[in-house]
Amino acid sequence: MSEAVAAAHAFMAIMRRDLHVYMSYRTRLVSQVLTAVFSLTLFYYVSRLVHLNGFTSPASYFGFVVVGLALVSVMYSCFLIPEYIRQELVAGTFERLVLSPFGPVRSVVAMTLFPLILSFVLAVFTLALGCVLFGLQLHWSTVPLAVPAIGLALLAFLPFGLLFAALTVVIKQGNVGTSWVIALMALTGGVYFPVAVLPPWLQEVSRLQPFTPATNVLRHLLVNSSLTVSIGPSLLKLAGFAGVLLPLSIVALSYAIRAGQRRGTIIEY
Amino acid sequence: MTPRSLEIAEPVPRARDGIDLVVATRAPESAAAPLRLRGVTKSWHPDRPPVLDELDLTLDPGSMTWVGGRNGVGKTTMLRIAAGLIDSDSGRVEVWGVAAGENRSRYQQLVSFLPAGDRGLYARLTVRKQLEFCARIAMLPRPRFREAVDEAIDTFDLHELIERRVDRMSMGQRQRLRIAMTFLPRPEVVLLDEPLTSLDGEGAALLHQAIEKLIADDGAVLWCSPSGENLDIPFDSRWTIEHGKLVAA
Repeated sequence: MSEAVAAAHAFMAIMRRDLHVYMSYRTRLVSQVLTAVFSLTLFYYVSRLVHLNGFTSPASYFGFVVVGLALVSVMYSCFLIPEYIRQELVAGTFERLVLSPFGPVRSVVAMTLFPLILSFVLAVFTLALGCVLFGLQLHWSTVPLAVPAIGLALLAFLPFGLLFAALTVVIKQGNVGTSWVIALMALTGGVYFPVAVLPPWLQEVSRLQPFTPATNVLRHLLVNSSLTVSIGPSLLKLAGFAGVLLPLSIVALSYAIRAGQRRGTIIEY
Repeated sequence: MTPRSLEIAEPVPRARDGIDLVVATRAPESAAAPLRLRGVTKSWHPDRPPVLDELDLTLDPGSMTWVGGRNGVGKTTMLRIAAGLIDSDSGRVEVWGVAAGENRSRYQQLVSFLPAGDRGLYARLTVRKQLEFCARIAMLPRPRFREAVDEAIDTFDLHELIERRVDRMSMGQRQRLRIAMTFLPRPEVVLLDEPLTSLDGEGAALLHQAIEKLIADDGAVLWCSPSGENLDIPFDSRWTIEHGKLVAA
């Protein structure tokens, strides 16, 4: 029991550390808030110019894209972990985590917590800004259901970040193709436009990743968009990604660290 | 010549900080020691001689051992293996009978490593936050957490620096903090790689006091630094690494 409590404290300590480091850069939050404002403003006016089949009004396209933008920022946070690992390797602090009783695998998993919480807060802020400044109409009766849905989506996205983190431990680079994967998932997941407008082969790709069911479910719950796939199978797909890939990604991370210790490359950066 | 062997009959590690120390039952000739390296071999290149070649070293309880040697001879490699950071190709390393591969979390509770250089600190955190973080990932039990942090601040006289960010500190101040973090979890074995780097006389004196306290509690210290460094320190034994093996200095 005391071991579990100590582990929980260690887990939270890593989150607090990341919070303190984040807060020490005072302009970072301002920059992220301004980015959200500019993105919303841009897409608000784009929604007034572009008429797409499947959208009854500019407001319905604006709601569609705002939820996509909020979710892509959440997904992006999962892919920040490799860069954090890279920074830890260079600073020599990763060694400290490896040599701690808490251990490197639990530490890396704990390192995902702060970026996820921050991205969740920024996503809520983006939606709130959309409501206040641009008249975004949320479907309030189902909004509370979006919270567990986004939690499930996070668990489905997280393994990708952990797998890339494992790769970073091995090849010592932060950008190990994460930007390509984010771009591909955003493109085929329908952030800016419905998946239906994509060529058939890209639509097939969209079915193979968790971003598509996540946007489908969250758009329905937040702005009452019509479902492209019913909600049950979409949630099941997200749970499948989380249930299968999360243990696999943790095993991969553990293996990468142990291999680094065996070969002695864990000290390299 | 091999390092002196353990001369105590039944070494019993102290149960500190709520950590339940378990020592494997062993035959007398392999009785548990604070740190024991047996036949440790490590090669970095398959076509070159191993940097450590069947190296043996045993630290006694309450002892301070120095290992020197020229640059690149394998001192840091030996320390990294002893710390559990990297694996040896063959041989066994154990702290009080516990090998890292058998119980990594317990091993890391027993041993603490100060790497050479000035890395391993979070530049944007204050000294207090750095120490608190260190105590948390050391998984100190709740009653010991605050006490350990305060003790580290007192022992290494960090009061004036406590709210200062690491990136605003001098190299010597950072080194003092790094040493404080090494001793903070109250390890049984402390591994020091060139610990005097950037330290002023006051910092060095604080380090010696911390070592004396650890030794008085039957802990053990392994200190590595290049041969030729003027060390006026009463080590219990002195060795150098030559051709991958320890030789009495």
